[in-house]
Amino acid sequence: MKFFRLLTSLLLAIVAVLCFTPAAWAFCGFYVAKADTKLYNKASQVVIARDGDRTVLTMANDFQGKVKDFAMVVPVPTVLQKEQVRVTEPKIVERLDAFSAPRLVEYFDPDPCAPVETDNLSRAVPAPAGRMETGSARSDRTLGVTVEARFNVGEYDILILSAKESGGLETWLKRNGYKIPRGAKQLLKPYIRSSMKFFVAKVNLEKFEQSGYQFLRPLQISYQSPKFMLPIRLGMINATTEQDLIIYILSPQGQAEITNYRTVKIPSDANVPLFVKDKFGEFYKSLFQTVYTKEDRKVGFLEYAWDMGSCDPCSADPLTQEELKQAGVFWLDDNSGSNAPVPPSFRRSFPRSSVFISRLHVRYTRDKFPEDLIFQQTANSESFQGRYVLQHPFQGELKCQAGREYKRSLPKRFEQEAQTLAKLTNWNIQDIRNKMKLSVGNLTYSWWDNLFSWLGL
Amino acid sequence: MLLKDIRDYQILFLGLFLVLGIGTRDWTLRPELIGVAIATSLATQWILSLVTGKEQMTNLRSALITSLGLSLLLRADHWTTMAIAAVIAIASKFLFQAGNKHFFNPTNFGIISALILTPDAWVSPGQWGEEWWYGLLFAGTGGIILQRVGRWDTTAAFLGSYALLEAIRNLWLGWTWDVYWHRLMSGSLLLFALFMITDPRSIPNSRIGRVVWAICIAGLTFILRNYFFISTAVFWALFALAPLTILLDVLWLAPRFSWQRGDEEAGGELLTLNS
Repeated sequence: MKFFRLLTSLLLAIVAVLCFTPAAWAFCGFYVAKADTKLYNKASQVVIARDGDRTVLTMANDFQGKVKDFAMVVPVPTVLQKEQVRVTEPKIVERLDAFSAPRLVEYFDPDPCAPVETDNLSRAVPAPAGRMETGSARSDRTLGVTVEARFNVGEYDILILSAKESGGLETWLKRNGYKIPRGAKQLLKPYIRSSMKFFVAKVNLEKFEQSGYQFLRPLQISYQSPKFMLPIRLGMINATTEQDLIIYILSPQGQAEITNYRTVKIPSDANVPLFVKDKFGEFYKSLFQTVYTKEDRKVGFLEYAWDMGSCDPCSADPLTQEELKQAGVFWLDDNSGSNAPVPPSFRRSFPRSSVFISRLHVRYTRDKFPEDLIFQQTANSESFQGRYVLQHPFQGELKCQAGREYKRSLPKRFEQEAQTLAKLTNWNIQDIRNKMKLSVGNLTYSWWDNLFSWLGL
Repeated sequence: MLLKDIRDYQILFLGLFLVLGIGTRDWTLRPELIGVAIATSLATQWILSLVTGKEQMTNLRSALITSLGLSLLLRADHWTTMAIAAVIAIASKFLFQAGNKHFFNPTNFGIISALILTPDAWVSPGQWGEEWWYGLLFAGTGGIILQRVGRWDTTAAFLGSYALLEAIRNLWLGWTWDVYWHRLMSGSLLLFALFMITDPRSIPNSRIGRVVWAICIAGLTFILRNYFFISTAVFWALFALAPLTILLDVLWLAPRFSWQRGDEEAGGELLTLNS
């Protein structure tokens, strides 16, 4: 008997140690699935690394057509020279996507008959310190278009144009073989008038074949400007449907937000039925669509905000210093102390790395997003993630009194999960119940329960 | 007596906005920070009143308004930042006086001080959204207060001139008009115009002075927002131009505002003399 008691306490100690060990084991949950950008048909991804007014912008295009048809025109705040433009690996954007994607985690109920003080174990561990070392031209005068710079980077031919008036620019682009959509003229005018330049890229086929790449690699530009914005209007000229844009903002400080639209956190930390495990992608798509509609299609969503040094649970390993640099983070080489102001010691309870990521998801249409997106970085170091929980019931035999009570409590819990899922995704509650194999025998629904769930209450 | 003082209405409305904000918008509003702001403001007001021996207990209302304003507009990562902002906001009333009148808006002074002096303060101009409903709520309730205080001219001059400047810019740039409306339909702009630049104790006494002053603020806001790309332009503009009040008061003499009399003299020019 004494031996058993010893053994139990020893086992408990081991469990406790495992649970308190940081990194992947924190929260005592495993990461099982993620909802990354592959879900969406038309998703552009942009990485913005910014400190002060220095910006590194990476544009990953989802161009689907023939490579030779590819061309893009992006308004940029300053003239860019060759050394300010480079191509980067698509893998970096994929890594950021995987790291910050909404995630599904699962927990297993302990044996209710075993006298374990679960409260102590399941309590959230403060964000662990998976810390990083914080060492850590010629011009066509008649048209008013000036070619400020012309160079070649990787598989792209780049032109930086400035223009005096939009008609001239449109004509110039057409003459030089760019297919410009109708209505572009009106939209180019405001950018010209606010003295922005135009970054024009097309593919150099020879170089592309030499490079051996299958797809076009992301373009990365760096510039210095107080403008912290992303032009979305030009992309909407021909768009008839909504477009998805995922923006990863890397900041030395804290969360980033949109200043001219509301930034709303995606619903998170919900317990959902177990069958969601196999259709998490579908689940997240429906959830996003539901909340997007509910917010009247005119807000941006925050899907992830976390210090880059850690994650909990991790959907992918945090990016290495090298990967962060590739993603445009340029302040890691600096002496970290001089860069971020070091606050008085009593104000920070745990060490932080010097990169904070915010993942913003904007689904925009012409009617609800008339103005280009403007951002700001804040000092908000609060962590947030889109996280959905599967709670597996205990499967073993239940013989004690607590076990019987536990078993009686389960149908109610399943029903709660079904309702949560219905509310989040707008899926039919009866279908959900059927999928969960919730037999009505377990639970008696009063007519008003049905009415309330039908009303979505 | 409750609701006898006009400031009771202000407290009521600002409190209502806070509750609405917490309930309907998922702001980074944190109840403990609101608590800190209120407690610090009241304590500072009380202590400084004792020390200077001038102000009466009734002025706790002003302190409460200041703290509610701070809670609505200022965001901070750490509570000490909110406390610092509240102390500075109240202290500014006692420090920066000209002829027995404080010329900085305490809430605004607190916000700007926190932005400059602490590493973790920020303002979220986008978080109000641009729903008409909110706009109407603000306009309606603000209007009630303003009518009772008689400083609607400031709001009208500010909003009118700002809207005009933005319209000219929009026309020149060639944006469609929905861009213009989207820029103006910002909840924080209305909140500022209705509740901050109308604080009768820190703005010029004469109507002509107030109108000139409001137009100057609108102009500076426009420049800071569109040419320096500062999202919190309004607060900086008010901060920079607040001392202009003294000059305008000298240029256009008018009696100073007092809260209790203002109640009776709703509407037109106020005849209260210095208390």
